[in-house]
Amino acid sequence: MKISRRCFGKTLLFSGAALTAACLPSWLPAAETDKSLVAQAVSPQLKRINHDIPKQSAQEYLNRSMLIITGKNNVTAAWRSLFAPAENVGIKVSCLPGRPLSSSLGLVTAIVDGLLAAGLAKKNIIIWERTSRELEKAGFQISRNGLKIMGSDELPGGGYSDHIEFSGSMGTFFSRIMENIDALINVPVLKDHDLAGLSGAMKNMYGAIYNPNKFHANHCDPFVAELCNHSLIKGKLRLVVCDASRVQVHNGPAFYPSYAREYGGLLVSRDPVAIDFAGLGIINSLRREMGLPTLADAGREPAYIQTAARLGLGQAVERLIRKVSI
Amino acid sequence: MKPFAHSLKNNFSRRAFLKTAGKTALAAPLLLGIPRTVAAAFVPKASEAMYYEKLAEKKIKCRLCPHECQVADLERGSCGVRENRGGTYYTLVYGQPCAVHIDPIEKKPLFHYHPGSQAYSLATAGCNFSCRFCQNWEISQRRPEQVQAITLWPEEVIRQARNQNCPIIAHTYSEPVIFFEYMRACAALGKEKGIPNVMISNGFIQKKPLQELCRLLGAVKIDLKAFTEIFYQEQCGGRLKPVLDSLLTLRSENIWFEIVVLLIPGLNDSRQEIERMCRWIGRELGPEVPLHFSRYSPTFMMKNIPPTPAETLHMARKIAQSAGIKFCYVGNLLSAAGDTYCPSCGKVLIHRLLYSIEKPGLNGNRCKFCQTVIPGVFT
Repeated sequence: MKISRRCFGKTLLFSGAALTAACLPSWLPAAETDKSLVAQAVSPQLKRINHDIPKQSAQEYLNRSMLIITGKNNVTAAWRSLFAPAENVGIKVSCLPGRPLSSSLGLVTAIVDGLLAAGLAKKNIIIWERTSRELEKAGFQISRNGLKIMGSDELPGGGYSDHIEFSGSMGTFFSRIMENIDALINVPVLKDHDLAGLSGAMKNMYGAIYNPNKFHANHCDPFVAELCNHSLIKGKLRLVVCDASRVQVHNGPAFYPSYAREYGGLLVSRDPVAIDFAGLGIINSLRREMGLPTLADAGREPAYIQTAARLGLGQAVERLIRKVSI
Repeated sequence: MKPFAHSLKNNFSRRAFLKTAGKTALAAPLLLGIPRTVAAAFVPKASEAMYYEKLAEKKIKCRLCPHECQVADLERGSCGVRENRGGTYYTLVYGQPCAVHIDPIEKKPLFHYHPGSQAYSLATAGCNFSCRFCQNWEISQRRPEQVQAITLWPEEVIRQARNQNCPIIAHTYSEPVIFFEYMRACAALGKEKGIPNVMISNGFIQKKPLQELCRLLGAVKIDLKAFTEIFYQEQCGGRLKPVLDSLLTLRSENIWFEIVVLLIPGLNDSRQEIERMCRWIGRELGPEVPLHFSRYSPTFMMKNIPPTPAETLHMARKIAQSAGIKFCYVGNLLSAAGDTYCPSCGKVLIHRLLYSIEKPGLNGNRCKFCQTVIPGVFT
């Protein structure tokens, strides 16, 4: 029996994982609930202390969110409804601005605990970003064995696939990590973005391609949506956990304390478009509080959110998104 | 040396061919013995960029190329090699070439600039275009941390070129504009040491930096990708007008330059478009600017279009000749249309096969037969 190149790569990345399991067709979740349901928490307990959400708080609110979006009545079942024990799961964090505005370690640890509770082995989980350097700057400790924490750049060929992928007007190479995982958990940080308008779930996936610098024209529209419409992302994305504990309201994506707000928020959904739409509402509301124009009034409306909705990636209309506050 | 019987490739001397092939094969060994930077461990070195403007809130506006990227802190420009760090813009590729080879100058192609010379050729990662048909996409479309680079300061570039008997240094392969600071330093030093530098570029650069380069470089080759804005926009991620402006600047700065047009079937090869282009070149730049029509081959993101038929290239050449352009060539194709002919008497001045040349009709910068002065820089 021949082993495909993709299958071989998967084995290489997740060495020790059962070959048979790794080569099975992607296992699809069977959650019965509305995909565009967004669990939204705002709590002082979710505010960062020394740049991190306390792990216990993160876990509590994440688990409650998981129960809501999956409709299950216990946490293990909730995680199991989205992830199978034999799967390789990638957790895409957001680390560009360094520790003050990266995906909180406490939150990421809570996600890993959820996966472990679902029966996944540590060795089948990878926390990743573009580079290990960015992960380290965000406070993650690089690990190449067991639970892996590493940048795409650690993999052969600079970390990117050697075959080009197309999506709409885009042509790009994906991170080999994206190619070799079965399921993706996207953990963006909610922030303003000078060019895109908003950086949330979908924009975070620019970290999965080798040439994001080529796709910032026209406020990243339609590029962000086209990228997320690629099967490697669309077909693998199972969960979005948006860290809104500290929100960069203006002058992002870098961290500027004067424009950052300790919002204490967490948004969880299976719909990346709905999460970004909800995130846009939060950013605009915080901007108004700070006396800043909305992103639309500032000429930086993230039109890619509506483009993504038109592509069928999720909902970007208030009445079609069911928000549940925690 | 016995002159070539032009247009008969079988008559091309084996010795000449092997000589060229041998020199070209020097490319790989050049990288041996120089410490390479492995991508995974590569942390790009940074030195402050030129031609940018500081804006409020630690943003910057790049003034190097017509994209004029406004870049927020921690972000990069469209080229992927210039990064804003706390309100200061840095180049990440100064002294960090990822490609170093020795090429015949004909490969650039520059046909009227020291023909038969070897050029010490280098490039860094990055480009301000994203041409779907880029032959060098493996470096031009990557960021510095995604390629293997070596550290090669300008002084070492000059020393290596001299050691390898290269009288010219060529900034080529990717897009030299995006490693402006490095090219500028090499060109300034090269000028001082008697090794001229040439730039092989898409011409997408602002006027001031181009004027500065013109004072330092020996020659420039511009890829004129097409003669429509739509082509530049859809196929290259750029614009035509600034490239035409650059050509006018080169003309007014009186630097030697040549133009290459890669003809792609169905996209930029219509008779009307070529006619408009040639008329513009003849009118605005003069009839003595060499114009090369090159054959496209499927690659990168454009694998669905077949190679350019030879007839299309010859048609384009005829159109250019009809427009009064005196030196029109066909490239990436074995043909007598790659030779240089005297515009007065029609005799062969330079015969080319692949990248080897013979000069049966050239005496200095004059036609041996009718003494017509041939424009260019000949040695």
